[in-house]
Amino acid sequence: MNAITDESRAVLARGVRLRADPLTGEPLLLFPEGILPLDESTHDILLRCNGELSFAGIVRALSEEYEAEPEVLRADVAACLTQLREEMLVAW
Amino acid sequence: MNYRPYLLLAELTYRCPLHCPYCSNPTRYPDGRELTTAEWQRVFREAADLGVLHAGLSGGEPLQRADLPELVATAHEAGLYTNLITSAVGLNETRLAQLKAAGLDSIQISFQADEEFAANRIAGAATHRVKLTAARLTRAAGFPLTVNVVLHRDNIDRLAQIIALAEELEAERLELANTQFYGWAFRNRAALLPTRGQIAAGSAVAARERKRLRGRMRILFVTPDYYSDRPKPCMDGWGRRYLTVNPAGEVLPCPTAKEIKELRFDSVRDHALGWIWHESPAFNRFRGTEWMPLPCRECEFREIDFGGCRCQAALLAGDASVTDPACSLSPYRARLTEFVEAAQNNAAPDFEYRQNPPFHPLP
Repeated sequence: MNAITDESRAVLARGVRLRADPLTGEPLLLFPEGILPLDESTHDILLRCNGELSFAGIVRALSEEYEAEPEVLRADVAACLTQLREEMLVAW
Repeated sequence: MNYRPYLLLAELTYRCPLHCPYCSNPTRYPDGRELTTAEWQRVFREAADLGVLHAGLSGGEPLQRADLPELVATAHEAGLYTNLITSAVGLNETRLAQLKAAGLDSIQISFQADEEFAANRIAGAATHRVKLTAARLTRAAGFPLTVNVVLHRDNIDRLAQIIALAEELEAERLELANTQFYGWAFRNRAALLPTRGQIAAGSAVAARERKRLRGRMRILFVTPDYYSDRPKPCMDGWGRRYLTVNPAGEVLPCPTAKEIKELRFDSVRDHALGWIWHESPAFNRFRGTEWMPLPCRECEFREIDFGGCRCQAALLAGDASVTDPACSLSPYRARLTEFVEAAQNNAAPDFEYRQNPPFHPLP
């Protein structure tokens, strides 16, 4: 499994859908036989996994949104995406 | 407590071109015609309104329904994640294109073994090659693929080869489900129950391969509860997260609930799905912990395994309201252990193959 780099373009894996819970509004990932409720920061990351932004671009966008230094966010975003990739919910 | 269903299993028909002896469909099919297209469409919309997120389209073989793309489209438009659970017999390029256009999210294909001769013998039909072709077409059409193999005495020794087949087919998920003994499988349990040695070897292979394929293929391996001390948390509790609608429209807390003869299951033909889920006697019969007998009522695991499986209690103890006999605390466990021990050395009897309903009343 190749590690994430600045150029990696993460997207939702095939068959994975991001949607709001129709009853609670809570963000969810839906995939075969599975439902994963998302915390706010994971949701913010996944909203940007649209194939247009590179990993560096996602970190930059989030740093603007949160008014935080990119270097502070970088490791957390990488860890989050790597974990989701191991679970085959995102791909790059 | 306000219960919400998350997953609807829609058993669209009992018709099936395969005759697998491990099938959990009932051995006595309910009377009545299959639900019509319009009836199923109402079920999907009402399910979405109740909070259901996933719809599994199953059977029997759901591809036997000519209106399948129409049903998928309705479920999809209602916001449901749609998963086709199929033998793949009848899954060709035209059908795949129709299902894609209808919004189908994923496809699960069953295999009976890794090689043709064994697979066809288990299925009671010459379908293995058809499945291989259909699985490749499924990938080519851009669907995520789950391969499902029900494990039993006759195929579990080939687990490494079965995993290799799923890998070759580029499945994202592989469900290795040890046979659950209900319906036809219960009739065939002496032929199907693996030995203790087979389970141990299979578990080791699954663990090793899961590690090797991490990030490429998710492997689920469910150990059989006949070999466990603790019962499974069946359906995550009765009427708690899941509902099944069978081909005749009866709504069940689990696909095999008709094993419980004293319960009457209401039909979507007579009631709204929401009423059946929240109010019907069958859905409330084993909800929560109030119904529990001893030792469940005072057990520290009562909210973890929910007393196990009600159908198994009915089948093995003759009473759906007692502790699941798979539990070491059940007074019926000794009888189950006797059966398990006898299976260690017995020659397996021949399969009694699954039969279709004697006639197929179409909607």
